[in-house]
Parts: sequence; structure tokens; C-alpha cells
Amino acid sequence: MKSTKFTPVPLTKAETDKKWWEIGDFFRRNSLWLLMYCTGCCAIELPPAMTSAYDMERLGMGPMATPRQADILLVSGYLSLKTLRRLIYTYEQMSEPRYVVALGSCPINGGIYHDSHAVINQLDQYIPVDVYVAGCMPNTEAVMNGFVDLMDQIKHKRANGWKKYHENYSWYKANQITSLGEVDVHDEFHE
Amino acid sequence: MNSMNNIERVKEIVEKVAKVRKFEQIDKFQIAFEIEKNDVHQTLSALKLAGWKQLSYLSAIDWIETSKFELVYVLFNWDEALYIQIRAMIEREAAEMNSIISIFPGAKYYEREAHEFFGINFPGNPDYHKQLILENWDDIPPLRKDFDPSVYSDRKFPKREYSVDYSVKDPENKSFEKIKEREKRALSLRTGGQKK
Ligand code: SF4
Repeated sequence: MKSTKFTPVPLTKAETDKKWWEIGDFFRRNSLWLLMYCTGCCAIELPPAMTSAYDMERLGMGPMATPRQADILLVSGYLSLKTLRRLIYTYEQMSEPRYVVALGSCPINGGIYHDSHAVINQLDQYIPVDVYVAGCMPNTEAVMNGFVDLMDQIKHKRANGWKKYHENYSWYKANQITSLGEVDVHDEFHE
Repeated sequence: MNSMNNIERVKEIVEKVAKVRKFEQIDKFQIAFEIEKNDVHQTLSALKLAGWKQLSYLSAIDWIETSKFELVYVLFNWDEALYIQIRAMIEREAAEMNSIISIFPGAKYYEREAHEFFGINFPGNPDYHKQLILENWDDIPPLRKDFDPSVYSDRKFPKREYSVDYSVKDPENKSFEKIKEREKRALSLRTGGQKK
């Protein structure tokens, strides 16, 4: 008679890893912690998104105070050269996997600051962006929709910005250096 | 004391120490004096003694046609509702103005800002040439009128490229006609299919 005993099929290392990633992604996408880098006016959409009006908490999202424990870097609005330096610094401190959500038309193509001497035009030249939310400013429904899109992307393994950053590190660094000159932060108040 | 007397009083103070080239009353609470560059320090210290002891702002204006910079010192008094602007013209080429940090120490940062954005030198201020707001700036000072921000932006920052079919100028683009069709249909539904 054939045995009814369950014999597990041995998995390869890659397969086991994949399973663990799926489990990890499930928990990760249901408890996302945001690091809010409120650079521009789009940040005004966050209070309604976080408080009882739209209540981000019901999606399992919450604010986080430090980059090392956050999952999402939320760039809300325009980035001047000076803030871009600090943003790259912050992004590189975050632990992986890390996702970037950019709000507003300013990080997409410069928005109303497209011809300014101080504001960059396209954020994804410097760090990889997973979700863009268009609008100037995007309304809160759009912001929430952006977060749901990000969860969807994580579920379907499409939120790969942080991997791209590893693969194309030299390309990103070259772009950063063209626009910034020097990426390291030097200022007299911190040295 | 009402503001009318106040203005007379300030006029007296300023005229005693400086040659006033132009006086302007902007509104009830703001007056402006245009004086010689060399009288600025005396005027500011006289006004400081008279109670205008806060320097609200130091700014500059680039008059490129006449090749001058205009410096504007805005003084504020905590007891009287009257702002005073002291304006002085300086040459645009190799622009230079003696620092006022011996009178208003807080001007240190305003002078650094004016140096950064207009390229005005302030001898007397030990670190006017240090960077304050811009980091690693590599062009002429950005608030001078001969600086073109969009050229700088095009040179420094990569732009997003859009394929032409997003452009409304594209002759192949039929979206306007489609919108018209849709509007017509919406209108016809609203009137129950009848022409009005
Ligand atoms: S997209 Fe509009 S609202 Fe957002 S930062 Fe830019 S200018 Fe401000």
C-alpha cells in the first residue's frame, strides 16, 4: 500500500529565499513606515492623510522618526540642490528594502520650478522612484491611491527601485555629481 | 506720540547726520530715505540711539541699466509703529560696502546673503565671503539681472523628455475632436436627445 506520510519536496536555496521574501513582503506591505521628507508645499496633503479624515493607519501605515527603521522615503514636493544632498544621504542610510514615493509635479519634471537655478527637475535621475503621484498639489485621495499602488507593486514584486540603485549605482552617482558637484554635505554649522 | 510727529522727528535725526537725496513716505507706517553711501553708518547709529534698534532686513536691488546696486536697510522699532528704510546706491562693478556689524551685529548673515546672491563685498565683516545658502555655487551670483536661471537649469539638471503624442500641437492628435464629440453627446443626453 502507498504510504500516506507527507514527504516534503526539498527546495533549492533560491526557492526557499523566494518563499521567505514573499512572506516578508506580505508583512511589509501591510505595515509600511514612512519617513517624511517634507521639502515642499505638497506636504500639506499629509495632515489629512494621516489624521482621521483619511486615516493612513487603516492601511497599516505610520510615520517613523528615523531613516534606519523606515520603509518608505516620502518626498513631498520640490527639491533644491541643498535638500537633494540631504535626501541622498538619508536614502543611503535606510535599510533595505526601501521604497521611494514622490508627490507632486515638481519631482516629476520640475513643475512650476522647471527653470529655477536652485531646484532639480527630475528626481529619478538621482535616486530610483517607485511611485509618482502627479498633481500640484495632488489631492489626498491621489496620495492615498499612490500608497495603495505601492502596496500592489510590492505584492507583484515590481517595487524594485532599491535593486536598481545597486545595479546602476555608477549611473546614479554620475548624475548626482553632474548636478551637485559634490554629494557630501559640508556646512559650517555641523563641522 | 502719533506717527506724523514721529516722521518729523526721524527726518530731523536723519538730516542732521546725512545729506538726504530723496525722501519718500510709502504709507502711514513706512518711510524711506535715500542717502549717500558714506553716510549710512552714521545714520544707522543715530537711528539706533533714537529707538530703531532692530535691523529687520538688509537687501539689495540690481539696477542693471544704470549699473548700480541699491542697498536697502530696513529698521524696526519695538515702541513706535514706523519702519524706516535707508537706501544707498553703490557701484555695480566691484561692488563694495563697509560692513555694519559694529552697529547691528545681526547684519552678519544678511551681508553674507547679499554677497552670495549679488556678489557685493563687505569689508569689515570677517566672513562675508563664506557660503551661507547656496552650496558649491559655480556661476555668477544668481540674483544679478544678467544671470539667466533657465539657461543654468538646462545646463545643470536633466529634463524629462516627453514623446510627441502627448503634445497638443501634434497634428495627428485627435483628442480635441474626441472631446468635442463627447461634449456633444453629453449635451444631447441632457436635452433628452432633442435638438433645442
Ligand atoms: S508640485 Fe506644486 S504643490 Fe507640490 S511642491 Fe511643487 S509647486 Fe508645491
